[in-house]
Amino acid sequence: MDEFEGYRRPDGTVGVRNRVAIIPVSVTASSLAERIAADAGDGVVATPHGMGSNQPTPAREQTRRVLRGVGRNPNVGAALVVALGTEAIDADDVADAVADAGRPVETLRIREAGGTAAAIERGVDLAASLRADADGARRESADAAELIFAVECGGSDATSGIAANPAVGAAGDRLVAAGGTVSFSETPEFIGAEHILAERCVDDETRERLLDRVEAREDMAREMGVDLRGAQPTPGNQEGGLTTIEEKSLGAIAKGGTTPVEGMVDYAEPLPQGAGLVLMDTPGYDVESVVGKVAGGAQVVAFTTGRGSTTGNPVAPVIKVTGNPKTWDRMANNIDVNASTVMEGESLSAIGERIFGTLLDVADGRRTEAERRGLTEFAINEVQPTTGGERA
Amino acid sequence: MTAPSTAEADADAADAHDAWPAAAYARDDGAGARNRLLVLPSVICSRLVADRIADAVPGAVSAGHDHGCAQLGADEEQTERTLTGVATNPNVAGAVVVGLGCEGVQSDRLAGALADRGVPVRELSIQGVGGSDEAVDRGVDAATELAASAPRTTAADLGDLTVGVVSSDLQASTVDCADPLIGAFVDRVVDAGGRVVVAGTERLRPHGDAVRETMAEDVAARYEEVIESSPSRTAGLTRRASARSFDELARLWGERPVRDVLPYGAPATHESGVALVNAPTEFAEASTALAAAGAHVVLHATGDGIPTGHPVVPVCKVTGDAETYAALQGDIDVDARTADVADLSTLVGRVVGGERTRAEEHGLTTFAISRAGPSM
Amino acid sequence: MKGTVVGDALVMDAADAVATALDDLSAGTTLPPTEGTPVDAPLEVREDVPFGHKIALRRIDAGDEIRKYGEVIGRATVAIEAGEWVHTHNCESTRGRGDLAAAGGDA
Repeated sequence: MDEFEGYRRPDGTVGVRNRVAIIPVSVTASSLAERIAADAGDGVVATPHGMGSNQPTPAREQTRRVLRGVGRNPNVGAALVVALGTEAIDADDVADAVADAGRPVETLRIREAGGTAAAIERGVDLAASLRADADGARRESADAAELIFAVECGGSDATSGIAANPAVGAAGDRLVAAGGTVSFSETPEFIGAEHILAERCVDDETRERLLDRVEAREDMAREMGVDLRGAQPTPGNQEGGLTTIEEKSLGAIAKGGTTPVEGMVDYAEPLPQGAGLVLMDTPGYDVESVVGKVAGGAQVVAFTTGRGSTTGNPVAPVIKVTGNPKTWDRMANNIDVNASTVMEGESLSAIGERIFGTLLDVADGRRTEAERRGLTEFAINEVQPTTGGERA
Repeated sequence: MTAPSTAEADADAADAHDAWPAAAYARDDGAGARNRLLVLPSVICSRLVADRIADAVPGAVSAGHDHGCAQLGADEEQTERTLTGVATNPNVAGAVVVGLGCEGVQSDRLAGALADRGVPVRELSIQGVGGSDEAVDRGVDAATELAASAPRTTAADLGDLTVGVVSSDLQASTVDCADPLIGAFVDRVVDAGGRVVVAGTERLRPHGDAVRETMAEDVAARYEEVIESSPSRTAGLTRRASARSFDELARLWGERPVRDVLPYGAPATHESGVALVNAPTEFAEASTALAAAGAHVVLHATGDGIPTGHPVVPVCKVTGDAETYAALQGDIDVDARTADVADLSTLVGRVVGGERTRAEEHGLTTFAISRAGPSM
Repeated sequence: MKGTVVGDALVMDAADAVATALDDLSAGTTLPPTEGTPVDAPLEVREDVPFGHKIALRRIDAGDEIRKYGEVIGRATVAIEAGEWVHTHNCESTRGRGDLAAAGGDA
């Protein structure tokens, strides 16, 4: 029986952390959220971003969906939604999503609080009382099947496709077998490998959506009149031996393991529990991509990196895995799992078991290196206007 | 972790005295109103390290943003151009550029561009030094090397200034009260031979013909190329702007002719007079464009009372809305219902000379860059 | 590990035209003939190839598709000899070519 101890929420989900999240509805309240979290101390995190001001409908809808999704994430024990008070996204709308999920929530508007200084003070007070509310929750026994495990790759190099990604894929297969959900995303990093994923889709609808979304990403390069290279693969990818997006993608999809693709959801759309392997349509841009999956309900993230990405997330613990022995050596303080042992003969399935074990330990409460350092990067993908109409 | 407050960044707030000419920091090519040591992340992945470095060094500020990787062509160029421009702002005494190592906007390339432009600069990357802990330590060393408190040894008058201007909304109190007050000050600056840069160009979209009529032919062509050809990201605001006449909207810059049109993130190069920069009215993105254009100070007309400042330029908040002024009194510098242009001029002079704006007092700043393409 | 070790390199699939260096390889290094891979005679690495980068296992003509993992990862922009370093200087992507579309060509 694969188990862990987590916080059971009134909505039935299980959190692996018990954060108090300070969520700004717009860029205008973003620095206030950061300041409140900094002053409020341990266990209080902010989700700062640059969205929510003067956005056209598709972009605003996506922002709203992310904010509500983050507020509902099972790892959020309580939330404070902050706003100036004049934004198109209403603080109550975001707060309602949190309340519907059974967590304590407050709202704070700078205009009602009497200005910035007063809002900081009030925000810190509210955060303290929300922290006290959230502290009432206790960890209890939960099944691995209740986990939604997000998988990401960033700062990739040639070792990603050879070692780290297949090892994480093996761990993902383990979780799927145990009844959980595994989600990977980064749609531009399906380009060149989408036929492999397409064959594993369980139905036509999923297959068509996958191929359609991959084409949409390729169209973005076409619309900008540029070679995708430089954005994908990145300079670091190329220095690390990845020559083309096809090569990167073929290595990238290995992190999703070998099970059938049960479905594909949009950026920040809810990920179903107990559903096996589910894709999410996100950019390859790491921080935005991880945020999308966390907004979709992922409690834990495994993030493979060849070059040494150090980013985390405020709401979900991010487990860093590298298949590059030099990176493991140099950047040990930022990496959790060494998958480069595959080059010394350890089998991928053995490393996969290690990663699965780490997943359960982290779910139980063991802090990742990113958590210990308070590395909590957050950004929301912005729907861009295109000459041919709006598109994610 | 939060960006360090600008309230600590200037230790030499001016005493009350005649506002003009204002005491200023000498730079190779003019004067600075502030003496910021800028810790500049090239990518989102190094922004928390940059914050921690700035937190640890008196006089340092960080400019964390959400971009720098997975960007295509013109979009990546815009981010890199903007970061370069902000770091060459006259209020910046020096810069420490912090990268991750694998990103699109490479930190060493960015640092090289700053060095070419004469900015005292240091650079490091998280992957280059072997981790985030090491990067904070090395970054603090680098910033400490560059940080030097300097006296204000020169004087700046209206004609020496580049003033950034943005109006955030189309409320009556803004268009009819706050904008014209700022416009009257713009008049004084331009009369004295100074430069003004105006952000927030979505409002002008419905008024293309009228805008171009204020421009020389080559500038009008640039306006079409730079501003009108980019897709509008704020259709609602543009639609509402058609309800006001061009003349009403142009009061923000004293209805002066427009001498130049700048792409987002580009430096102002016109000798004097008013230029437009292709920037939205959203304040964080607008103020960054104005900072990159070389503004010493930004005047922000806001009916909603958007209170946030900017790490590199002092921002004066101007409102004509009674409710806003009552609700956010501590965050607003100028009540446009009662202030006149002499008051505004005095305030700007004192701010340039070191007096803190309301935003600098509470210290909350946002740094954001407009995108010109999708994240890949 | 997936793939087959060939000296200091790794071949992912028997149909591949390239191997991946598992160490920084100096020019002159030899990859031994290995069953189940295209290397059926000693292959001399003709130039320095950094860790993680690719070595051509046979001659690849200009314009030919290049396979790794048994799948197409790009095409050669010039003729490549066996043992040469394969990377952005001689291998281009066939996907995401907005530059070609802009120039009126096929992506």
